[in-house]
Amino acid sequence: MYFTLFWTFFKIGLFSFGGGYAILAMIQQEVVLRHAWLTQSQFTDVVAISQMTPGPIAINAATFIGYQQAGIPGSLLCTFGVILPSLILMLAITLTYLRLRKQAWFKNVMQKLRWLTLGLIGAAVILIGKGAFPDWFSVAVFAICLVVYLRFKPNPIYLMLGAALVGMVLG
Amino acid sequence: MPKRLLSIFLTFLKIGAFTIGGAYAMIPLIRREVVQKRGWITDEDFLDGLAAAQSCPGPIAINLSVYIGLHIRRGWGMAMAVLGTVLPSLITIVAIAALFTHYAEMPLVRKAFHALKPALVALIAVPLIQMTRQAGLNLSNFWVPLVAMAAVGLLGISPIWLILAAIAFAVLQSLWQKGKAA
Repeated sequence: MYFTLFWTFFKIGLFSFGGGYAILAMIQQEVVLRHAWLTQSQFTDVVAISQMTPGPIAINAATFIGYQQAGIPGSLLCTFGVILPSLILMLAITLTYLRLRKQAWFKNVMQKLRWLTLGLIGAAVILIGKGAFPDWFSVAVFAICLVVYLRFKPNPIYLMLGAALVGMVLG
Repeated sequence: MPKRLLSIFLTFLKIGAFTIGGAYAMIPLIRREVVQKRGWITDEDFLDGLAAAQSCPGPIAINLSVYIGLHIRRGWGMAMAVLGTVLPSLITIVAIAALFTHYAEMPLVRKAFHALKPALVALIAVPLIQMTRQAGLNLSNFWVPLVAMAAVGLLGISPIWLILAAIAFAVLQSLWQKGKAA
């Protein structure tokens, strides 16, 4: 069981491109459809909890499923499994980057990727923005945060804590 | 433990503990801590790392932690950054799994998220404006991020295809320019 958990999450980490949401789709494929460790509705709960707790979504989901299946050792194994491919591949990518970054063609590649990355962050704004504005209260919170953040540049942590408190009181 | 390693660990612990909603929500916080406050890496290196983290499989936040950790302090820096990012998740999730099974339906949690979601959108939008100024964008290339934004955000195209296309384009462009110069 321990090995199956580790191996399943290692595969999930290795084959999911595009971050948290892509990883959730892979987890669903393996954990719900293939191994039937969770039902679809339990999986939906896991997704909600992973999004609503601090930390990377994929790590949260892996930890939760691991704990449900095999307690604390399970949660450690699933988390380690899902990050191991990242550790190996990103190590190789970063070392290559540090070696090649003085070369003209590589600089050109990184410049184009930088433009693209801005677009991808913009896409995240759209994706997170979907469903974030059900009423005027949300629009007001957005506008206030935008102005406060641009004008006073507070630590994002305080801005988020403030928003959560305002939500609890007025939301 | 050397002081620098401890401060890498604590910085990433803070990032892991206070970001809700995935890697993109982490961007403003990581940038503030690592680029603006501590000056460990430049904004340019940060954007490069973000591009690399998105092209690599696995959680983007972990990929980015590996990159930044390695940049600051090689192997140990990487280990401290990853451990810091993962630890808050492990602790919170195990506590939630053990204690509250209906966390997501608790009224107070729902209310907090009602305001947290729009706040998060603002938090991600602001650094985007600042980074646009530093990425060397002008009228001739401004369409690149806009098209990428629409393709991924509205059409649901996987970023990996755009990344591969951008790499192929840049390599061909460099080869062509080299050929022209020779």
